[in-house]
Amino acid sequence: MDAAKSASSNANWTASVDPVTKLLLILFFTLAAFCAQNLVEAGIVLVFTLALVFALPTKKSLWAMTAFSLFIIVTMVVIQGLFWPSNQTVAFHLGTIDFYQEGLKHALLLGSRILVIIFSTSFFIETTTLSENSRYLEKSGLSFKQVYVLMSVCYILPQMHRNLQKIRFAQKARGIQPAKSLWSKAKTLMPVLVPLIVKSFQEAMNRSISLQLRGFDSPVRRVPKSDRTYWQDRACHRLLAALSLVLVGVKIWEIICK
Amino acid sequence: MEAKNENHSMWKFRLTAATMTLIPAAVGINYVAKAFAEGLKLPVWLGSLGTFLASMLAGPVAGAISGFINNIIYGLTLSPISTVYCLTSIGIGLAVGILYEKGYFDKASKVLPAALVIALVSAVISTPLNVIFWGGQTGIAWGDALFAYMTAHHVSIWIASFADEFVLDLLDKVIVAYLAYLIYKQMPKRLVFFFKGNR
Repeated sequence: MDAAKSASSNANWTASVDPVTKLLLILFFTLAAFCAQNLVEAGIVLVFTLALVFALPTKKSLWAMTAFSLFIIVTMVVIQGLFWPSNQTVAFHLGTIDFYQEGLKHALLLGSRILVIIFSTSFFIETTTLSENSRYLEKSGLSFKQVYVLMSVCYILPQMHRNLQKIRFAQKARGIQPAKSLWSKAKTLMPVLVPLIVKSFQEAMNRSISLQLRGFDSPVRRVPKSDRTYWQDRACHRLLAALSLVLVGVKIWEIICK
Repeated sequence: MEAKNENHSMWKFRLTAATMTLIPAAVGINYVAKAFAEGLKLPVWLGSLGTFLASMLAGPVAGAISGFINNIIYGLTLSPISTVYCLTSIGIGLAVGILYEKGYFDKASKVLPAALVIALVSAVISTPLNVIFWGGQTGIAWGDALFAYMTAHHVSIWIASFADEFVLDLLDKVIVAYLAYLIYKQMPKRLVFFFKGNR
């Protein structure tokens, strides 16, 4: 019961933050991670973004995105630990191979930045919906055409994925075996991609004609109303934009002083 | 019959109903081509095929916008780090559009030099991003093996990272450029004229 109450209050808290504030949070935390000079500072930024992650009602996309980047973070630790040009102090030996402190610290600093970006982005992904984003972006001053382009991408991707699955199933049903050599794999590209791409452009043309017929370009247009209210949205935008500018200034100052 | 009109400016761009539907389709093609390459375990990404086709059909600005939106949506749905590579996608879209208008996609023999230029553009823009975010690596095993070999032999991080990116981009962009050329040639003319006529 307490857990359910806590989850509900988390959902309410995240729902009262508007989408643009969430996007500005990604920008702010990314800049903060890039301003961090050492692992302690980077760790502090990481803790703040982790706090955002704990507020998430579900963490589905977070695991997928983290897994996607973990492999490269591990290879980064290995390569930089071995070959980073500033390597001097041996951290540990693995058989006859020496790993260096400087390279390991550098790789961990880079890895923490990646995790900061993933954690702050997952906060946006898991707590906003497409319809909420489209309404709020239009309310924030983006033209309805730009909003349409952005939102229709989100609807088209699953549709394209379904089309690809259909073509693959059709090939399997016809007994086409998965190719083994690189050349035979390359040869299967054209028969699948050409119909899929032509179909996509055909559907785009049909959608375009439908939009024109329905008067999408008409100057007299009913603006969608949003019934949601957000906590101090304008003030949050100004504050986060100002803090981000300060961080950009700090970074530029650091580069000039070097 | 070539659909190119010499009188129009290649930089002319309006967000018409045709371009509004072309851009999402191009992003979808990028997504599917990339998923397809991953499914077949091909050593290339193919994730810029839609951007190539959008640039060829509706000009460099439409191609650049397709590439930009592609990375923004990817960044906000699948892979947050992809967002920063929107700069590379903008560069690819502009380069393809300009090269197409200069006639580099008219004949198969001209596609190769165009692909080399596009690979160079992509590598030049991606290298600083790779250095900032990944310490110079690309995340592709054989490119990173080259990077590790070069840095182990005291080659500068920037040169090693550029070499890592360029070898991958070279193969990818040559294949994507030829795929885009072949698909464009096989595309029904009414589609080509529709998107070109509505620029």
